[in-house]
Amino acid sequence: MGSKDFNFAEAYKEIEEINEWFTKEDIDLDEALKKYERAMELIQKCKKRLEEAENKFEEIKKKYSK
Amino acid sequence: MKTEGITEVDLLAEEKVFSVSEFLDFINKILLPKEAVVQGEIGEKIDKREKYSTFNLIDKKDRSVLKCFVWNDRIDTLGIELEGGLEVKVFGNPRIFKSPYGSEFEFEVKAIWLLGEGVLKQAFETLKKKLQKEGLFDERFKKPIPRFCQKIGLITSRYGKGAKPDFEKHLGNFGFKVFFFDARVEGIFAISELVFAIRYFNENMPDLDVLVLIRGGGDWESLQAFNSEELARAIFASKIPVICGVGHESDLTIADLVADRRASTPTDAAKILTKNWERAQEEIKKIEKNLNFCFKTHSKNAKKELALLEENLTRKVSDEILNKIEELKNFFRKINFSYQRFIEKFRTLENNFKMNFQKINAILERRKIELKKLRFILEKNLSFWKERVKEKIFEEERKLLLSSPRFRLKQGYTITLNKEGRVIKNAGDLKVSEEIITKFFKGQTISKVKKIEK
Repeated sequence: MGSKDFNFAEAYKEIEEINEWFTKEDIDLDEALKKYERAMELIQKCKKRLEEAENKFEEIKKKYSK
Repeated sequence: MKTEGITEVDLLAEEKVFSVSEFLDFINKILLPKEAVVQGEIGEKIDKREKYSTFNLIDKKDRSVLKCFVWNDRIDTLGIELEGGLEVKVFGNPRIFKSPYGSEFEFEVKAIWLLGEGVLKQAFETLKKKLQKEGLFDERFKKPIPRFCQKIGLITSRYGKGAKPDFEKHLGNFGFKVFFFDARVEGIFAISELVFAIRYFNENMPDLDVLVLIRGGGDWESLQAFNSEELARAIFASKIPVICGVGHESDLTIADLVADRRASTPTDAAKILTKNWERAQEEIKKIEKNLNFCFKTHSKNAKKELALLEENLTRKVSDEILNKIEELKNFFRKINFSYQRFIEKFRTLENNFKMNFQKINAILERRKIELKKLRFILEKNLSFWKERVKEKIFEEERKLLLSSPRFRLKQGYTITLNKEGRVIKNAGDLKVSEEIITKFFKGQTISKVKKIEK
């Protein structure tokens, strides 16, 4: 998955869900390991996205004509 | 442009004689493009027809009058009725109205701009009520602003004093892509340009996350574009969610009410968009820590549990083994006991048998001796017994001879038999003239009974 296809909102939501999942009492260790690894992968991607991001400004040249 | 136009007229005037109508058309051709905004006071006499109205616009200083023509739909969007004394700005163009009753110069109004706070507030309230009734402010129509907006359509004026710089300054650096559409936010053209910008983004860049419509602070009159019905409807129709941030915190416009999200100021609009990113930046660190902690805790717990289980299991297994060993021991003990008892019984039996065997032997021995003795006695008395037996036999033989019927017949006795050979011992058994057989020692006779004497 290239960084351009990376969807921050979805990744963040998944991270939050996994975090929520870990607050449960009864946790299957196998699943915990999978989820933990998945979350760490997403967290690294999100962090990268947050660190590298630069705002870009572009002006629309179109003008209103009567 | 102006001088060129006049030159053109001069030239043409020399070459061509117009008809009246042609001339009026010719003048209108020059007049119509001269669009302008004119400010004045509405005269008392307003002539309202079915589709259009005419009124006078009066100069407050010298009372000079500009006759105005307006289509009624332009008045309807104002929110209030036109009335004498109302101060307005009108946008439109001059023209000569051709008429057989006397063509007149007039100003064709394309937009009316109310002035004066009181009137504007009144118009605002009217429009607000109208749109509210239609449901344009209803929560159910508000589109959610994406949690993490990335592509933003920014609509404001590049010349505004604060709005654009404030917005950009407070927009955190989170990789936003801002597409800026320069539109006037004040004055008579503001509405059209703002509406155009909203439509432009919707038609050409529908994948934008949000549209941001902002304007810096100003007096009530300067915010009028944001209180227009046209802009309100354009915001309502936008498929891209709209954040509206106009003026200061206290300024609430129709655009704010109809927008999917109201920002109190342009700065606030930037903060709304930035807030979730900032929070995510903080939260993600916490989540990472928390996950590490949780995972470690769970792993530790699992390890502990496993150790506990192992211990338990080992204990159970060893307990079980010990139990089995104990059971086996008991079993062997029982077997051993049974075996011992069996052996003892066997020994007792063996002893008994041995003892009995000796007894029998002794009896047999005794019997042997007795037999020997008897045999000796028998052998010793044999000759004596031989003699005795001979005598006895002889005696018996004699007895037998004496009792034999032949011997009796020889002595003269006879035996009488009937025909069937039965011995007759009683004369009564016979009948007169019955044949009888009489046996003698030698021979027999057959005779008939003559008389029976009982």
